[in-house]
Amino acid sequence: MRGESSTTTNTDAVRPALDRESELWVERLHRDHPRHGETVARLHDVLLRIAYHELSRRRGLLGSISGPEFDDLAQQTADDALVNILRKVNEFRGNSRFTTWAYKFVIFEASGKVARHAWRTHPPSREALTWEQLPDALASAPGDRLERQEQLSALSAAIGELSERQREVFVAVALNDVPIDVLALELGSNRNAIYKNLFDARRNLRTRLADSGHPVLDEEQVG
Amino acid sequence: MTEHLDLDELLRVKDGDAGCTAGEAILDAYVDLELAGENPAVVFPGTAIHLESCPGCRADHDGLREAARRFADVTPPAG
Repeated sequence: MRGESSTTTNTDAVRPALDRESELWVERLHRDHPRHGETVARLHDVLLRIAYHELSRRRGLLGSISGPEFDDLAQQTADDALVNILRKVNEFRGNSRFTTWAYKFVIFEASGKVARHAWRTHPPSREALTWEQLPDALASAPGDRLERQEQLSALSAAIGELSERQREVFVAVALNDVPIDVLALELGSNRNAIYKNLFDARRNLRTRLADSGHPVLDEEQVG
Repeated sequence: MTEHLDLDELLRVKDGDAGCTAGEAILDAYVDLELAGENPAVVFPGTAIHLESCPGCRADHDGLREAARRFADVTPPAG
């Protein structure tokens, strides 16, 4: 994997001028500006609305949380996002509209809080992280062609040969649908590191399958 | 040939994947390009690839795009 350094626009070298609206937001969020309090209140209001919407969108991971508990989570999400925005507003470089930049903070807060709630209330089971066998959806069936059966058998062997961390991550995320952020919390890691483990595991499995004479064809090759 | 597609999806990897951290830094610019009708993959090819494979970053991207579209008209107090 590689970064976006050559094409990323968020560097000083290519800093664009702020659009007028973004400039007003930045000016008025300055603590000495006479409209500071009003501007902060307006921003918080929209952050709270986004927090409610985003938490609802991710409701599948929030279980039965509702009523005051849900309100409290939305409030905390908006409050924490606002604190981060005010702390970092001087770093805003105008590579997007100010509002899109600010909304990113509340989306990330919601993402993190939902994952933490899901992990606390429903941590992944030991079985979800432990390699035993391919799930039924992938397991070889009696009607499968021999080529398919051999490929699945090779995949099964290759999973067993992954490093412990790569196997744990691949089994949890790819085979047992454990959310990547929940797994990161369970393993005391972070999303980027878990994704890297998953990426490396997939690449290793593809290589091992190809080396054993059972390559996985991509969409174009299958045609 | 569905069986091949299943394994291809399960083992999806693409060269040029920028990873999560790079995408987080530019996600706002990425979304603004999309909402302006431009193709963000031209400017941020590594993140476009990454979003196809990372469910966590894709969820953040989808949430931000929706928020930026729904609350596009919020302005600072006048005066």
